[in-house]
Amino acid sequence: MGSIFDDFKDGQKLGSGHRLAAALTPVSTSANPGRLQSFYYFSNAAHVSSDLRYSLFQANGIKLPKQEQNSWVDIFAAYWSAVGELVRFEEAPSRASWVKVFNAWKETANQLIRGYSTGGLQAWTIPCLYVVGRYLRHFARRADAELSSQEADGFGDGFQDDVSSGLEKNAKLEEATRVLNRMFTLCLTDRSPIEDSRKWGIYDTTNLLFKTYFKLNTVGLSKNLLRALNAQSADLPDLSAFPKSHTVTFKYYIGVIHFLDENYAEAEQHLAEAWKMCHRNAMKNRELILTYLIPCHLVTTHTLPSKKLLAPFPRLEKLYRPLCNCIKSGDLGGFDAAMSAGEEEFVKRRIYLPLERGRDIALRNLFRKVFIAGGFEEPKDGQPPIRRTRVPVAEFAAAVRIGTHADERSRVDIDEVECLLSNLIYKGLMKGYIARERGMVVLSKGGSAFPGTGV
Amino acid sequence: MSSGIPPWRTTAAAPTSVYSGHATPAYTTVQARRSITTAKAPNSASTSASSRQASTETAPRKQRVEWPEPVRLYVQRSFAPENRLPGVERGEMETKLRAVITEAAENNMLDKIDWSNLPLPQVMVQNDRNKVLASPSVSNWTSFYSALSPLKSNTNGLEDVSKKRKSVEYQGDANNCPPWRKTNNQSAFEDRVTYAPTDKRQRIDLKNTSKSKANLEMRRKRFEEPQASNGSSSSSRGASPALTANSGPVVGTCQELEKNYFRLTAAPKPETVRPLHILHKTLDVLKKKWKKDNNYTYICDQFKSLRQDLTVQHIKNEFTVSVYEIHARIALEKGDLGEYNQCQTQLRALYAQQLGGHPTEFRAYRILYFIHTRNWTAMNDALADLTPADKRDPAVKHALDVRSALALGNYHRFFQLYLDTPNMGAYLMDMFVDRERLSALAAICKAYKPDVKIRFITEELGFESDEQSARFVLDHSAEDLLQEKEGSVRLVTGPRAGQLFEAAKADAHRIVDIKGQI
Repeated sequence: MGSIFDDFKDGQKLGSGHRLAAALTPVSTSANPGRLQSFYYFSNAAHVSSDLRYSLFQANGIKLPKQEQNSWVDIFAAYWSAVGELVRFEEAPSRASWVKVFNAWKETANQLIRGYSTGGLQAWTIPCLYVVGRYLRHFARRADAELSSQEADGFGDGFQDDVSSGLEKNAKLEEATRVLNRMFTLCLTDRSPIEDSRKWGIYDTTNLLFKTYFKLNTVGLSKNLLRALNAQSADLPDLSAFPKSHTVTFKYYIGVIHFLDENYAEAEQHLAEAWKMCHRNAMKNRELILTYLIPCHLVTTHTLPSKKLLAPFPRLEKLYRPLCNCIKSGDLGGFDAAMSAGEEEFVKRRIYLPLERGRDIALRNLFRKVFIAGGFEEPKDGQPPIRRTRVPVAEFAAAVRIGTHADERSRVDIDEVECLLSNLIYKGLMKGYIARERGMVVLSKGGSAFPGTGV
Repeated sequence: MSSGIPPWRTTAAAPTSVYSGHATPAYTTVQARRSITTAKAPNSASTSASSRQASTETAPRKQRVEWPEPVRLYVQRSFAPENRLPGVERGEMETKLRAVITEAAENNMLDKIDWSNLPLPQVMVQNDRNKVLASPSVSNWTSFYSALSPLKSNTNGLEDVSKKRKSVEYQGDANNCPPWRKTNNQSAFEDRVTYAPTDKRQRIDLKNTSKSKANLEMRRKRFEEPQASNGSSSSSRGASPALTANSGPVVGTCQELEKNYFRLTAAPKPETVRPLHILHKTLDVLKKKWKKDNNYTYICDQFKSLRQDLTVQHIKNEFTVSVYEIHARIALEKGDLGEYNQCQTQLRALYAQQLGGHPTEFRAYRILYFIHTRNWTAMNDALADLTPADKRDPAVKHALDVRSALALGNYHRFFQLYLDTPNMGAYLMDMFVDRERLSALAAICKAYKPDVKIRFITEELGFESDEQSARFVLDHSAEDLLQEKEGSVRLVTGPRAGQLFEAAKADAHRIVDIKGQI
């Protein structure tokens, strides 16, 4: 990243969208600490347009169609004001304000959108949209934080029947979503031939919106985007043709959206794809994917993560290991304790509900022990021994007593044990039936009493 | 949207010509200003609203324009915290300030104005608000404005932006306004307004454009920016209600105890609003009437008007909480989940302000409610909201146990909890208990062989009698599933019964759709 004008020049000359986007990245680098200041002070409010026209184009010998050139000048003029607001944080912090930065940046975004929709900007420059969108979100969050630290709570406007509905603590971020939404449509509805289409930007803008919706706790709105995407899917290139950075994130969000709807099978499919494609060194992303993939796996395939899988992710190891150990050993009491110990974290990450289902697996493992402890029937004339498949309910009740660390006096309800058994049978974790009159569980013979576990 | 002027364009133009008193359309004035500023060049020729913002502030520093000392002092005074007026936002004040100074400068009036006696911009904003109903030409300030008028609206950067927004928006961008803006947002009041059918003009207006999101957006803008609609009293919408709404609570003078509910379409008149001490009496009357007549339609209507009176007077205290709580309980009792949910949402916000009431009772209802609607995302949020102290509360604990029992399919535990529900939670549980009975029956039919006594079903699934459970089984399956054997009625289990209950269960678990759900 060089000076803003260098980035612009190189981007235009090389036809490199990312280089061009670097010009619109509002940060100073360690190599160039005065990057923003020098851009801001190269002109002043009165002359910024004409100065830009000269510095962006004439000085660099770049020739573009007039309309496109004007668009760039407008974009950079808005950008220049936004940079001005940013520079203030270093020079006069008392007058600096993230709300102003956000407003100025929003204007930059609007100019850019206008540049694409009517100003003749070319599709290869679409990375500019990513950068501007990303910072729009960033500044919106800073602005909201600033506003909430300043404002005491108001009464809302007085026209409602009711006292209040929600807090406006994310006003700017909501404002940002509207702009991002326009970026989304801008990409989706481009009708140019696909080689030169803004459609290539669709997944990146979608991801940005997903991210914002998640932040705003309005995940439901993601479905509108998906609906729009589906409607256009015939015209979109295959997902695999897009940059991996876009598709991995997209798959991740789709996975999590299904996850939150308790569609664990679909969630798993998308998350697994994201996991496979994710760059091996993107540890944070891999960790995020795993956070949801592990509970999915537990629910759909009843398997637990290996130590090796979690070794590079100590946080996940800490989060999941205690539970996994209890599930493995059929320790119901330990499982309940681990769930309540991790509850806050699990709820925060929205993985409490699927993890809770791990109790069924713990129970299955416990009952499997009962079956194994039951030993074998008397072998009949040289036949290989068969396990005892008729097990009294009372034995399972005893196991529950051990599993829940019940003390001597507490009663274990036989009806409840039957209910637990009936659930495992219903869910296919056990095969057999309960003969209630005789207080007996009759398990299936031939090594399929507990499917998938070898007995 | 390609030909002709869409109806909202005309209305949308109104705010722009705010102080002018001219009938000039907005866009003409905007262009006029551009030419002037380029010629004068204290400001940027850029069309960008934000660069203009920056320019007015950076210009003095760069000594491009020498602002006279009185002007600078005036600006300082405007920003001084002690001069801040409640109800006037900093943004509005700044806009006004900018307008005043720019106009003075562009008309070479900088030296002619007595800056030390000029009202501060925040005062002007407030005066403007108070004068909505009076003729705009009366005040000194408005006449001052009229003199400068064609320039005024141009300096309002917000309009500049909104104009830009329009130009892109109207290209058929349907996704522009996020849905929550339209339904559930406090600032989007006008989106929920249905205008009183007596006013034909408004109704026609609404009919022509009500489906247009762009129009809604414009209206929202107008309502949001009081200063933009100040002078529009001559326009069709008249005194915009937002003005008075923002300027403070109404103080009611109505002495009637009972009042029918009407949705507000304009600022409420004090004489139709009951003050707090009357509302206290109202509540007592309503409680008595509810006990005596049990007329839900009437009571619900009365409670809605009661809530409305509290809101317009900005009364938020323990009494408010108890009104919502009582209304919520009555709605629960009558199974009016839509109304209940409205109360619940409000209560959640009220409890957050620690105004008393029975927060844990309602937190428990909230959990049960989400079980009923099977809204897992909201359930996650509700769980995240609970504090350790909440979790120790018996009602909350009960609700959490119910949730966990259901999540694990532990119908035995679930029906034990059902029979022992604190407060009014049973009304909520009644709504999903049948659904869960079907789930349990589906499991039982798969797990037990060859049959179970009907007595067992009655006990496990919380039925009151064997007859009731037999009826339930028959209602959802086939007759031959019940057989009499060895002196007792039995449910014949097995794959066929399993399938029948599985189908009934799937039917009962279809998405619950409730009006007014969050």
